[in-house]
Amino acid sequence: MEVNAIGIESNFGLIDWCIVIGYLLVIVAIGVYIKRYISNVTDFIVAGRGLKTFLAVATMIGTELGLVTVMYSAQKGFTGGFAAFHIALAAAIVTLVVGLSGFIVVPLRRMKIMTIPEFYERRFGRGVRILGGTILAFSGILNMGLFLKAGAIFVMGITNIGVTNITPDMELALGTELKIIMTVLLGCVLLYTALGGMVSVVVLDYIQFVVLSFSLLVTSLLSIRHLCWQNIIETVSELKGAAGFNPFHPPPDGFGTLYVVWMFFLGLVSCAVWQTAVIRACAAESVRVVKRLYIWSSIGFLIRFLLPYFFGICALVFIVQNESLRSIFLPEGAQASSDITLMAMPVFLGQILPAGLIGIVSAGMLAAFMSTHDSYLLCWSSVLTQDVVAPWFKEGLSSQARLLLTRIFIVAIGIFILVWGLWYDLGQDLWDYMAISGAIYFTGAIALLVFGLYWKRASKVGAYSALVCGFLAIVGLTPVQNRLGFLLNPVKSHFGFTKEIPIEEITDKTVLVFKDIPIEQVSEKTVLVYDTIGSEIVGLTVIALAMVLMVAGSLLFPDRTKPLDRKE
Amino acid sequence: MNFWIHFWTVFFFASLALFAGLAVVVSIGGFLNIRSLFKALTDRANQQQDRLRKEDDDPA
Repeated sequence: MEVNAIGIESNFGLIDWCIVIGYLLVIVAIGVYIKRYISNVTDFIVAGRGLKTFLAVATMIGTELGLVTVMYSAQKGFTGGFAAFHIALAAAIVTLVVGLSGFIVVPLRRMKIMTIPEFYERRFGRGVRILGGTILAFSGILNMGLFLKAGAIFVMGITNIGVTNITPDMELALGTELKIIMTVLLGCVLLYTALGGMVSVVVLDYIQFVVLSFSLLVTSLLSIRHLCWQNIIETVSELKGAAGFNPFHPPPDGFGTLYVVWMFFLGLVSCAVWQTAVIRACAAESVRVVKRLYIWSSIGFLIRFLLPYFFGICALVFIVQNESLRSIFLPEGAQASSDITLMAMPVFLGQILPAGLIGIVSAGMLAAFMSTHDSYLLCWSSVLTQDVVAPWFKEGLSSQARLLLTRIFIVAIGIFILVWGLWYDLGQDLWDYMAISGAIYFTGAIALLVFGLYWKRASKVGAYSALVCGFLAIVGLTPVQNRLGFLLNPVKSHFGFTKEIPIEEITDKTVLVFKDIPIEQVSEKTVLVYDTIGSEIVGLTVIALAMVLMVAGSLLFPDRTKPLDRKE
Repeated sequence: MNFWIHFWTVFFFASLALFAGLAVVVSIGGFLNIRSLFKALTDRANQQQDRLRKEDDDPA
């Protein structure tokens, strides 16, 4: 067993490296080989609309069950315990309801669109399409901004390379190795995605589905065998009490009712509004396949959260019962940084899985990583090409020009996420970062889709208002809240977003509510500081506001002409 | 709390069993679907080539 500079061990050995490298080479080769099947932009973006049920299910789950999902979900399981399972349950229920009813996705498939902004144009006009496409791409690219870093932290945690220091305020010191791993991973993904497009994406998603499904199932059984179910329950119970099981347990210890409601919205958005999922519906062979795809995928949407939460919980139990790891991941009197809690699950897997199996699991996870990246890169680059650039050309862009532009955007987005991953200071759970960065788009989009599809009077002005309103969701990001303190702190004081903390926990980043009292003069044991406004409060408020603006804008400023899709 | 412990225990193992079944079915069905997807794409590419060839042979 390899032991690194800070005492973390891993079973990852030479044979595992061979499995991972061999696997990556094979899938990149498959991507290059499949290039021969791409003849036009429809093949590239929606696989010629030829996906049948099982392949559509595999590719949907393959995309959604990515390494990044596994990482952020495991982190949520680590910090939230069994109560985090409610997110998986909400995702499954909502996806099943969408599958049974065809809500949103069936009308979109009937319209034969390739991207959601394309729907905006048919329903509300070209201007809404360009604005919607720009917001969608901005939000989506921001959303995937930390994927590369999360993937690299997984590699470092499971292989035990590059983690050599932890700073006094419990930050992981990630050095040159992180940059090298991120760059190598990005190179593989770019090569694969730019060459193949959607056809290679579905094949890779399928391979990833098979490898990851079975390796996750085996890993779950091994985790239970290693830690024992009763021990897991008892340890979580001791550590977190009722908050570790009851999702309605109020914050700060638990999630609370608002968070549960927010998760139901996110479940709907993930499957019916988020472009990477909707593109699967648009690529399906028929409306019947779309419905079946969602009904079957509800199990996948359940599992993609459930198993990683479970691994996060197991990592917590494992670390609590290991003295050296406990001091790193659960330090007394200090809060471990987000990078450290992200690394808990891969470190746990690195210690309980035997050599060989750990290579297969890592290969599966890395395939998942490639799969998510290529889907997302393809998705956002297509949106930029089809919805932001192409509408400016009155005579249209040729198929070759669109293909070239899509590939250029893929590379540009890849470079952005490399830089963003190295620069951005997370400061919150990765899941909450992703929910909020996605909310910049979907809070407006859900209003446009629901009212645009099901309400005849929805108008262009309402659509513009709802889209612009979505930008307010950016306030949910912790660094943005910190930067906007001068604006938000009076609001926080008014609505009671404050908390008491012990004086010894004051750092140079702490902002006191009563800033006229110097810290050295505070005589009591605790001080009042500004708390973060939770992602659920920001998200739900912005969704409600976008809906209200959509209705008000439509009633006050109705359209004078019929939308394109309603003309005879 | 006991309710939630029992609920999540049943929920977890039932989901695991359900997913195991799904994984088997989708793995087999997906493989067959990939074969037919490639066949369809190849046929369409051949048809396009035939059409182009005919247009070249008969410019009128």
